[in-house]
Amino acid sequence: MRVLLVDDEEELVATLAERLEMRGIEATWATDYRAALAAVEEKEFDIALLDVRMPEMNGLELKRLIEARQPGMKFIFLTGHGSEEDFNACSAESGKQYYLIKPLQIEVLMAKLHEIAHS
Amino acid sequence: MHDHHDSADTLGLHFFGNMTASISHELKNALAIVNENGGLLGDLALLMEKGRPLDPERLKTISGNIRKQVQRADDIVRRLNRFAHSAHEPATTGDVAEVLEFTVTLAARLATMKGVTMTVAQGAPVPLETRPFLLENMLWLCLKHLFVLSEGNQSVEFTAEAAGADVQIGLRFGEGLPAAEIEKRVAREGQPLLAELQAELRSEADRLFLTIPQKAAR
Repeated sequence: MRVLLVDDEEELVATLAERLEMRGIEATWATDYRAALAAVEEKEFDIALLDVRMPEMNGLELKRLIEARQPGMKFIFLTGHGSEEDFNACSAESGKQYYLIKPLQIEVLMAKLHEIAHS
Repeated sequence: MHDHHDSADTLGLHFFGNMTASISHELKNALAIVNENGGLLGDLALLMEKGRPLDPERLKTISGNIRKQVQRADDIVRRLNRFAHSAHEPATTGDVAEVLEFTVTLAARLATMKGVTMTVAQGAPVPLETRPFLLENMLWLCLKHLFVLSEGNQSVEFTAEAAGADVQIGLRFGEGLPAAEIEKRVAREGQPLLAELQAELRSEADRLFLTIPQKAAR
């Protein structure tokens, strides 16, 4: 499974990518929309994990740009808080409640990745 | 949205809510990084149990990363504490640059989200007697409306100077932003704050000015 991780906190995505790699996931990370789009141009991904609140372009807007380049990709949104506003926006955008709250539990993330990959 | 019927207290509550929500997001990020580093240590320990050698340098790096984030979280909590206490702090006389610097720190994350960078011009101390929370709130309103009208890649420089019996605070943001529209929006929403501070707001081509009597505090 190939996963793209996008969050403006570099240490977070880099460490998470390393942990996913240990679990057999091919993980690529980016800290802004430009790097994320460059990664999508270069490589195919199954799932993108996108932080909702990022500078310059939020995760919901980025999802639309990624989707236009790789229509088959699936998405999980990541946020600091489970506000109703974020929840509704992410649910509407992802079509399902693919929405995780920081700090992540790796087991929950792995389960969600497998659930989405096989959906 | 607020209207001109909001009192200074209501505006203060909105301000407090905006700032604490932003601060809690920052804290969450620091905790998330600590969480991943702690998880990584656990992962590496499991691998070591299975016979994979563990480089001590790797452990030192992870330990350093955790300490860095704990320090970051501590700075955030200190800022939150100072902000919380400023809400009931009485009028005091201090260098206005300190209030500007603190407001910039408070609003930094929200500014970054909007692609705005903020600085405070260095200069001689400019004493002002005021309730810091009221002034922080007023400055935040200016920034909030500036953020709304900004299209990113914007810089804002705060300046402060004595002007006779007044203190003049400037927000210089360069051309491309409608200063008069920002002034209009800030004046409409912030009227109770302007009254409390006995301040006047005006705009020029690329900047806003807030003029406050040096000893206006109630």
